[in-house]
Amino acid sequence: MVKMSFENHIMKQFDDELEEIRTRLMEMGGKVEQQLQHAIRAISEADSKLAEQVIIEDRRVDAMEVDIDEACILIIARRQPAASDLRLVMMVTKAVNDLERIGDEARKIANHAIILSEENEPSVGYPEVRHIANSVTKILANALDAFARFDADAAIRTIEEDKQVDLDYKTALREVVTYMMEDPRSISRAINILWVVRSLERIGDHAKNLCEQIVFVVKGKDIRRR
Amino acid sequence: MKLASEQTLELDEGHVTVGQSFSDDPKMTMRNINVFYAEKQAIYDVSIDITKNEVIAMIGPSGCGKSTFLRTLNRMNDTVDGCRVEGDICMDGENLYAPNLDVVELRARVGMVFQKPNPFPKSIRDNVTYGPKIHGLADTRVDLDEILEKSLRKAGLWEEVKDRLDQPGTGLSGGQQQRLCIARAIAVSPEVILMDEPCSALDPIATAKIEELIEELSQNFTIAIVTHSMQQAARVSHRTAYFHLGKLIEVNPTEQVFTMPQHQLTEAYITGRFG
Amino acid sequence: MNNRSDTLSKIQHSLTRRNRAEARFRWYGRCAIFIGLLAVAVLFFDIISKGHGAFRATYIKLDIHYDPELIGINNLADNEQLSAGNWQALSKTALRNKFPDVSGRQDKRRLSKLLSNGAGFDLKDHLLANPQLLGKKESVWVLADDDIDTYFKSWLDGDAYDARMTAKQVQWIAQLHQEDLIALKFNSNLFSRGDSREPEQAGIRGAVMGSFLTLIMTLMLSFPIGVSAAIYLEEFAPKNRWTDFIEVNINNLAAVPSIIFGLLGLAIFINFFHVPRSVPIVGGLVLTLMTLPTIIITSRAAIKSVPPSIREAALGMGASKYQMVLHHVLPLALPGMLTGAIIGMAQALGETAPLLMIGMVAFIVDIPNGFSDPATVLPVQIFLWADSPERAFIEKTSAAIMVLLSFLIIMNTSAVWLRKRLERRW
Repeated sequence: MVKMSFENHIMKQFDDELEEIRTRLMEMGGKVEQQLQHAIRAISEADSKLAEQVIIEDRRVDAMEVDIDEACILIIARRQPAASDLRLVMMVTKAVNDLERIGDEARKIANHAIILSEENEPSVGYPEVRHIANSVTKILANALDAFARFDADAAIRTIEEDKQVDLDYKTALREVVTYMMEDPRSISRAINILWVVRSLERIGDHAKNLCEQIVFVVKGKDIRRR
Repeated sequence: MKLASEQTLELDEGHVTVGQSFSDDPKMTMRNINVFYAEKQAIYDVSIDITKNEVIAMIGPSGCGKSTFLRTLNRMNDTVDGCRVEGDICMDGENLYAPNLDVVELRARVGMVFQKPNPFPKSIRDNVTYGPKIHGLADTRVDLDEILEKSLRKAGLWEEVKDRLDQPGTGLSGGQQQRLCIARAIAVSPEVILMDEPCSALDPIATAKIEELIEELSQNFTIAIVTHSMQQAARVSHRTAYFHLGKLIEVNPTEQVFTMPQHQLTEAYITGRFG
Repeated sequence: MNNRSDTLSKIQHSLTRRNRAEARFRWYGRCAIFIGLLAVAVLFFDIISKGHGAFRATYIKLDIHYDPELIGINNLADNEQLSAGNWQALSKTALRNKFPDVSGRQDKRRLSKLLSNGAGFDLKDHLLANPQLLGKKESVWVLADDDIDTYFKSWLDGDAYDARMTAKQVQWIAQLHQEDLIALKFNSNLFSRGDSREPEQAGIRGAVMGSFLTLIMTLMLSFPIGVSAAIYLEEFAPKNRWTDFIEVNINNLAAVPSIIFGLLGLAIFINFFHVPRSVPIVGGLVLTLMTLPTIIITSRAAIKSVPPSIREAALGMGASKYQMVLHHVLPLALPGMLTGAIIGMAQALGETAPLLMIGMVAFIVDIPNGFSDPATVLPVQIFLWADSPERAFIEKTSAAIMVLLSFLIIMNTSAVWLRKRLERRW
């Protein structure tokens, strides 16, 4: 079992600062996770209010990104972190970026949820969306979990799971295209579904990036594009 | 590769240096060096190569033996009573501790710059030409002047002092004094320059100038530098060696040491957890 | 809040106490310095008030007729004649001519006692220097006797000391004074002559020369030996029990009473090596033994004060140890070494005890001209004069002390000046 510790610096404030960016990243992760769940629920339950709330809340996610980024810059300027500390700070700056993008994707899904809820038509494509949404939510949860525990093994497992999502995405694409060919009237709706699936797939990719960053922090190895 | 985080802060008995301590093109090779001060052992079984024209930094907490180790390379430890060096230290394959080797010749080949700027209380000219004079490197005054200018130029000091070569070297600022000491060291054209915390007594600007100078000098000289400042090691060196309690823990390319050190102790030291 | 004001009042309370203690301490210091200065002032006042008179001597002006018949010579080149000549007759006759009415053997003898018994020889020297004066007359200031000198000086000061004077003599002096034929003149004898039993003829030249020669000897021996020993011990000797032992012994030697060195010198140089007694060589040897520890200790301190970084720099440049010492350590340590040497020399200059043991206490009239001439030294001369019964020696003693003190002051000042001048900051 790998154990990471960011404590026991001679400067206790440094411990506190590292701990702070870590908890704030966790907080932001939790917030983003919640945004995603709400967006998905807005689609499946055609709840446009919930969707609007997701859109409004995204601003808070953006603000959190800016805050954490500033904290990281301050740490770099003041403490000149090295080795694992440096990797953690760099990881956090990248991770907030990924989380912010996940937030953006959730907002897009919410936008489509509003459009879809106005159409009041048969639930074409919902099973596909639900299937991918379940996987992606799980992946994001796993990634954040791996980060909380600095569990590189869990992170690697999560990266493997993302490959399944990519496969599911391709299957869903094919199915939605099939709908469009079968019933040209459903094209506009199907395109919305397509965008939602696409966003979910992007969220999976961002979650995978997050996992790669975790592996980098823990093992010092860059496993991107391998 | 053993993961940094899997090791404990305890050092095992038969510690073996991790990382890349050896080189294909070594200037100096050291094998199984043990150094004793009377009964006390200061260096334990250190083996390392110094590559040609590289800058190798030695870091570690106070009393870890990095300065002692540096001083074995030009036998400055000979002057310390009760100091004993075991093991093989070779430069270009020649054993530095061979009985027939003259330390005077060795020190002309391996120059040294010290922690505190220590120009002789003589003129700038005399400071730089002292080495060439005692080693008989120049026959005429013209030759000496040539060496003087060349050395001061290389040390980046010529423009600042060319109008006052006959004024005392001790009248310069701290950073200038240290560059004068570097000029003095390179005046005898050594092959290796040892620097023992050369910037610890200097302000940041003077430090930056010395660091820039080290970068330039590395094109012609092999440089081994001991430093307390990890940032300095990160800035100037190509490889970094980490010493702990007289043992060489890790040697690796500097960029690796400062992003993902291989050994837990190195990690703990450079992240500021002790030292 | 309460706690803080409480602390503050406590601090203020203790502050007044501390300030008072500090002021008290400052006053102790001032008192100590005042007492010291007072002692020095008293010493100087006493010595100068007693000794200033010795720089002037009483002379009587007489018309001397260099009559060849009176002296009993006819050829100034004939040494035999010169030494047999009756030189005293010159001044005696002149004095009798001055006071023609003096009659009777006793009075005549008293009259001639006005003059120093060396007056005749002074006149002889004068004549030999100016041969053309033979057979001619000249007014000459002739040195008076020490009793006359003492009386005349005290009489001028208004407190006449006439215990050794007869009434006639007092009257003659008064008469001479009236005619301006007796006066105080600069006492060149003090600086140009050696010791003498007659106070008016005694000078310190012999002692000064003796001191000078002895010091030269001491310096030539002790400085090179001391400095080499210091350099060896500091730079080359291994640090072990032997060198510790040597160091302890050197420190001990510095504290050994100087008379012991005298005994040592007597036993070794004179009894064993048969060096002649009373000569500057043996004096120098003994004082060398005495000053060596001082010079070694101060030189070692001077060498130690050279920063090790300079040594490292030199060694790091590939200088050999010898070059390091010669090129870097020695030039930096030299001011300190010189200061030590001068202080050691000043010590040697004032030293008496060891020289007593090796016979430099002898009564020596001739001025030494070389290292192997019998000699005495200033402090011993002072010791001898202080022991002499004649009243006139009191002021001579003080004068000699003044000369000795001024040499010491000059040496110590030059030590300070040298240090200031040569000292380098690094």
